[in-house]
Amino acid sequence: MLAYTIRRLIWAVVVVLIVTMVTFAIFYLMPPGDPAIRFAGRAPNPRVLDQIRENFGLDKPFYQQYWIFLKNLVTGDEYGWPGLGFSYDTRVPVRNELLDRLPRTLILIAGAAVLWLIVGVTIGIISAVRRGTLVDKAAMGFALFGVSAPVFWLGLVALFVFWQKLGILPGTGYTAFSDDPKEWFLHLILPCTVLAMLYAAFYARMTRGNLLETLGEDYIRTARAKGLPERKVIMKHGLRASLTPVVTMFGMDIALLIGGAVITETVFNWQGIGSWVIRATTNSNLPVVVGVVLMAAIAVVIMNLLVDILYAYLDPRVRYQ
Amino acid sequence: MKRTRLLAILVLALGLAMTAAACGGGEEEGGGGGTGAAAPSGESGFGTATGPANKGGTYRVDVESAFDFTDAFDPTGEYTALGWSFYTLMLRPLMTYKHVAGADGNVPIPDLAAEEPEISDGGKTYTFTLRDGVKYAPPVDREVTSKDVAYAFDRLADPTYGGAGYPLYYQAITGFTDVADGKAKTVAGIETPDDKTIVFHLDKPAGDFLYRLAMPATAPIPEEVAKCAKKAGDYGRYPIANGPYMVEGTDKLDISSCNTIKPVSGYNPEAFLHLVRNPNYDEATENPDARENNPDRFEFNINSNVDDCFNKVKEAIIDDTLCGETPKQTKEYTENEDLKPLLKLYPDDSTFYLSMNLTQPPFDDVHVRRAANFVQDKVGLIRAWGGPVVGDVATHILPPSLVPDSLEGYDPYPSPDHTGDVEAAKKEMAQSKYDTDQDGICDAPECKNVLHIIGDSGRERGMVPVIEDSLGKIGITLNTRLLGDQYSVILDPTKKVPFGGGPGWGKDYPDAFTFFFYLFDGRVIPKEKGGVTYNEPLVGIDDATAKSLGIDLPAGGVPSVNSDIDNCVGTADDTQRLECWGELDKKLMEDVVPWVPYIWRNNSTIIAPSVSRWEFDQSTGNQAWTRVAVDQSKQQK
Repeated sequence: MLAYTIRRLIWAVVVVLIVTMVTFAIFYLMPPGDPAIRFAGRAPNPRVLDQIRENFGLDKPFYQQYWIFLKNLVTGDEYGWPGLGFSYDTRVPVRNELLDRLPRTLILIAGAAVLWLIVGVTIGIISAVRRGTLVDKAAMGFALFGVSAPVFWLGLVALFVFWQKLGILPGTGYTAFSDDPKEWFLHLILPCTVLAMLYAAFYARMTRGNLLETLGEDYIRTARAKGLPERKVIMKHGLRASLTPVVTMFGMDIALLIGGAVITETVFNWQGIGSWVIRATTNSNLPVVVGVVLMAAIAVVIMNLLVDILYAYLDPRVRYQ
Repeated sequence: MKRTRLLAILVLALGLAMTAAACGGGEEEGGGGGTGAAAPSGESGFGTATGPANKGGTYRVDVESAFDFTDAFDPTGEYTALGWSFYTLMLRPLMTYKHVAGADGNVPIPDLAAEEPEISDGGKTYTFTLRDGVKYAPPVDREVTSKDVAYAFDRLADPTYGGAGYPLYYQAITGFTDVADGKAKTVAGIETPDDKTIVFHLDKPAGDFLYRLAMPATAPIPEEVAKCAKKAGDYGRYPIANGPYMVEGTDKLDISSCNTIKPVSGYNPEAFLHLVRNPNYDEATENPDARENNPDRFEFNINSNVDDCFNKVKEAIIDDTLCGETPKQTKEYTENEDLKPLLKLYPDDSTFYLSMNLTQPPFDDVHVRRAANFVQDKVGLIRAWGGPVVGDVATHILPPSLVPDSLEGYDPYPSPDHTGDVEAAKKEMAQSKYDTDQDGICDAPECKNVLHIIGDSGRERGMVPVIEDSLGKIGITLNTRLLGDQYSVILDPTKKVPFGGGPGWGKDYPDAFTFFFYLFDGRVIPKEKGGVTYNEPLVGIDDATAKSLGIDLPAGGVPSVNSDIDNCVGTADDTQRLECWGELDKKLMEDVVPWVPYIWRNNSTIIAPSVSRWEFDQSTGNQAWTRVAVDQSKQQK
């Protein structure tokens, strides 16, 4: 297992490097626009544009820019380690802004993930166990609703009902835990719930389907024949096997959300990674885009590795050489 | 089974219905339909400044998505109207404005200068005396001197600090370009004989020089702090105020060395800008025509959710907005009598236009350009913007506040209700070489599939069918390309784009020079490849430049207005200069015809019931922060 893990980590580094190189290439070789023009004021003559490109480091060839990026990533730049340069829009170091925004995105994801796991898996179990009953129908109705309702609509409705009309929850924005723990928690409720809804619906359906399939297996029949309590049959024997695909999905969903839950963050004015990188892409703000892509790529490979390790625990048939 | 299927269908239908409800409603920017309300014309719009100037409280403003500063809030290079509007609270250049709406708001008045300057040497020398007692915010604490003003210009001339958009205005100062060229460290044409006196020597007269001295880049900067900013934009993280307000946390700056200077806490470029009173500001030094300084504090907070902006302002959870209204909000506030007074509309001195490249067929023929002006349905374009509330039909280049009274009502290409006059257009087109049978329809191959570049915002998408339909009536068919970053293409003369649908232009200061010089002077066209220009029509391009850029000129060349611009800008008398610009506007519209102008835009702002006093600042095209006030008893949390 250790050897397997080390091999995977080495490959992870290679994958991340390839991702950053492709991102660099896309923005350099196929630029959506010239960022220098935005900052050249009303006299964008060649000398002014050249000065701006020099300020941004865009005057060098692609391979030189990429080499400087890699070097700074490893050794750090004037703003610290890792060296990710500065945002063209704000001149704020990308590293500082990432460190500022990442916790907000992570707490949003963590809160939503806890919710969608608990709600989704629970509903899936109940639905599978009570298959064909009204409970099952209601559960799948919820799943259908969760999958169908657009996230931005859910968010706006939630704000309208719980903040504007009922006044029981605060509106948009993020409050730091250090400023006011109670407000921090209250501000988390709506965005986490809204983000969790879609995933809870998926997970409910997935858990239900997998569990139904597993409960039809011979070894489950054997377990029941041996006189095991039904709860033990389902939770220990049935659920464990049916959770493997759920684990896979969970890892990928977390990894992808680390790139930013864009819609939720925008609706709730969350000031996280997602809304930041979308604006950066529109504005050809290359350092921000590369920084976020790098972080998201690292998240994906790490989550993939963790998922694979968890497989080995969940399914004894899986062993890694 | 049947019941299950029925239930599933019902739930699916419910979900689809909710999705349709969520996606509908004309939420997109500029999404057609208009409001049906008659547009107010003139300066007052729906709202005028009213109410008591209550002192105290916090004025809370939500800003949509981002500040979008161009030089990270460093006044030397910052080139956004929003940034300039914030600077009216923080910085005191030699000159300023009254920060009111209308023509009165476009007149420069002394600010840091104790009085109007002494102008001598045929308009080439300006001598100012500084007011006593104007001090920097802590921790700098000292009085502003003439050397601080001179330092601001040295910084402006040095391209390192991002003053890219400004330098052309100040190249008239003797020795300014020597700093830009690296031949000098300071601008030789600026003298500071003592701490209270500053003298500007110009190479040639500039009748609008006082306007140029009202721009925030010329406000004094303390060198002992700014020298630590090594790159463009760095100083924006800790700008030192000499005005009535400062960035919160400025007083906590440690300026004992460059290494100890850190960004001030009251400004996070991605989240907020908070301003508080400058404790060193002395109201006795203020020009009473310039500022009222009512609130104790300003909070400008970024909000990525536009709907949330307007929900909050309606509930007075915030007081004002810098969020773009959608047609939904505009309709609500124009049709509800209770809400109407909270919608403020003022012309923001900008013109939006369709641009025609004078070097590219079929627009290299003046008859085609005139025909395009006759045929264009301008009301249709304004409808795509959101209706008549958004602005007035533009009939010539300069917005009304920048032209003399003699141009009031001037419309060289009239049409019924500004919807286009096809017959007049055909009559003009029939004189064109591209109408081979002179029937008023452009039938040469050059009129087919003409490349048209426009942005991809909701508004611009709505404009495309109106433009295509109008030009189609005179036989011009367009190959329209929607681009997110249209400016990278249409500003590059080597791209040879014949037709641009998206551009707009606003004044830098209330003189037509800021329009005509950048938009129609042939000297701003880059002489070599790699540069861009806002003179998209390429008015005044000379043979050598065209050859260098690989552009073929039409027979007879392209008309130039360079000498007209020089003549007008050198006119010292304000009234005569205004008349001069008015004549140039006419010449461009009738003889050169580079544009089809279609809208003079309104700035629209929705405010909360908690605002007790509100004013529009004509000089910046934004709220007059220096005059707003709140009624704290009406503010909600």
